[in-house]
Amino acid sequence: MFDFTVIARHLPELFRGAGETLFVSLLSILVGFVCGHLLCFGRMSPQRLLRRLCIAYISAIRGTPLLVQLAIIFYFLPLANINIPALWAAVICLSVNTAAFQAEILRGGFQALPAGQTEAAYDLGLTPWQIRVFIQIPQVFRATLPSLFNETVNTVKNSALISTIAVTDLMRVSQTLASTTFRPIESYTVAGAIYFILTYSISKFGLALERKLDIH
Amino acid sequence: MPHLSILVDYAPLFLTGLWHTVFICVAGIGIGLFWGLALYLASTVRWASLRWLVRAYVNIFRGTPLLIQLFLLFYGGPHFGLRFSAMTTGILSLALYSAAYFTEIYRSGFQNIPIGQIEACLDLGLTPLQTLVHVKIPQMLALIIPSVIGQTISMVKESSLLSIITVPELTAAAAKVSTLTFSIVEPYLLLALAYWLLIVGITKCGELWERHQVRYLVLR
Amino acid sequence: MPHEPGNEVELWDLWKSFGSTTVLQGIDLQVRSQEVICLIGGSGSGKSTMLRCINGLEVFDRGKIYIRGHLFDAMGKSTAERRFVRRSRQSVLNTLCMVFQQFNLWPHMTVLKNIMTPLELVKKLPRQEAMDRAHAVLAKVGLLDKQDDYPAALSGGQQQRVAIARSLGMEPSIMLFDEPTSALDPALVGEVLTVMRDLAAEGMTMIIVTHEMGFAAQVADRVVFLADGRIEESGPPKTVFGAPRSPKLQEFLKTWSQRNAPLS
Repeated sequence: MFDFTVIARHLPELFRGAGETLFVSLLSILVGFVCGHLLCFGRMSPQRLLRRLCIAYISAIRGTPLLVQLAIIFYFLPLANINIPALWAAVICLSVNTAAFQAEILRGGFQALPAGQTEAAYDLGLTPWQIRVFIQIPQVFRATLPSLFNETVNTVKNSALISTIAVTDLMRVSQTLASTTFRPIESYTVAGAIYFILTYSISKFGLALERKLDIH
Repeated sequence: MPHLSILVDYAPLFLTGLWHTVFICVAGIGIGLFWGLALYLASTVRWASLRWLVRAYVNIFRGTPLLIQLFLLFYGGPHFGLRFSAMTTGILSLALYSAAYFTEIYRSGFQNIPIGQIEACLDLGLTPLQTLVHVKIPQMLALIIPSVIGQTISMVKESSLLSIITVPELTAAAAKVSTLTFSIVEPYLLLALAYWLLIVGITKCGELWERHQVRYLVLR
Repeated sequence: MPHEPGNEVELWDLWKSFGSTTVLQGIDLQVRSQEVICLIGGSGSGKSTMLRCINGLEVFDRGKIYIRGHLFDAMGKSTAERRFVRRSRQSVLNTLCMVFQQFNLWPHMTVLKNIMTPLELVKKLPRQEAMDRAHAVLAKVGLLDKQDDYPAALSGGQQQRVAIARSLGMEPSIMLFDEPTSALDPALVGEVLTVMRDLAAEGMTMIIVTHEMGFAAQVADRVVFLADGRIEESGPPKTVFGAPRSPKLQEFLKTWSQRNAPLS
């Protein structure tokens, strides 16, 4: 009833698609990590305008579906005469999305830091920048690592949506495969398995990293 | 300058889409809550194979994109004789997906009940079933509210994927208006706003509900 | 060693380890009917563990426990055995009730419901009878007016008195107290000790783990001092506090009296 050999012949394409998925996901996560930090600092800034802007941004991104964000970026940009390849539009959109979520995760980490540590650091004469980099960020990183890895897994899963804006990621390849071989079950099962291997590996890596950094 | 008249003309279309989205989410999450509870209870049974099965279910449904699950059910279902409408498929897919998350939410809810209360039940002579019904479940239900609200919000956003398999929900309505009016900005901005308002509403309700529950729950 | 009638609780050569740490090393104790025993000792001496072995919250490794003549042997390690033991104990253990350090009231029920629930579920009393009995014990601890409040609205001392009322409602012959006032603000300790004093005066058999030496000196029939899992010394309060023989007890009392008023 099931014929997986048909799929086996197309494995190279599937793997190429998986590579695209990984590339877009990991790049977006890294960009999102940096932007997430900036967003988080802005969100916690004493300057009211900056803070309000960041709150609005985070609320808008977390309060709307990724599909809608993708559609907006993909369709609006050409209207403004910005024509970029679908791949980079996807990276931009995923980065914008994950940055908002990471900003909230990091904010939670900063708020959970005992205030006494920052006070002691001020008292000892460290500058705000030094406090942030040497005292706060290392601790926040350790505390939020599990959540950040969870967000990484989410980004990989979300990347499946970029197939709708014509990026040849794993999802798109499997769709094409399903329609050309008339075997949707086998195509999507294999694609699903590859996604699962990716997310499972990321989770396991995250656990190993946490154990190494002695979190728990 | 965006033409807001478009929105007024096509309001019925949007509202129908919104209604479908609400219906799909309520149905999907409702079923998911029960299915998730069943899965959690199955994982507490002292049979290793069943526990492993639930483990596998949770890992697979949380470790793969909803889109793949949706496509498997929609395009692959007919091969098994499962011919549902697009909306039913969508609701089922959301239910199966959310159940995997709810299983873990139930687990963490039960685990966060202060153990002293269970000891008091043991000491006073309540049977395990009595303990479950009268002490564990009421407490667990209160503890899981934030997580359930968070998951509901996730599902509302994920429901937009159903537009890809031609379910006439909110995103599909916006896409339709977009093609009918040849405009992009207005329908999609309205779409984003609609989801945002929906989610803000759910968040506010969740906060109110939690405040109502927690008024007597913070006990140390 | 046979059980002697008139003894409510007997511990014979009780041993208990948690992993590689031996917490109880051969405990022997007999508690007569209507006796009030206070267990004192430093943290880690095994006092709470001993109490929890008596009412089945901990499973002990070696020895025997008699409760009103019923024998409980050292338990096997299998969960099935422990579960059976707990259920077969219910008929006996209904004579035994514990008051916990953290009160352990059920926060989602009113004070009245907290007391009525075990009466309805375990004693299978009809609702009206359960309510009457609940009112009676609440009045006894002086909190009848709080019956419709939730535990979170009560002070620590009030919650602990409700917990005592909940146990009293089950009409136990023996009451166990696991550091009942340790989690309370000092100002609230007195109201709980008053209730306990009244219970003792009425003839309740009580085994109390406590740091309240003054209370032990006034109310206990016997004070038992534990150190490193063994009973170092035991006797009437006048002897134990006034003329301690064991050096560990002398050390313990010295540290205590350096921070408190003299005892006898």
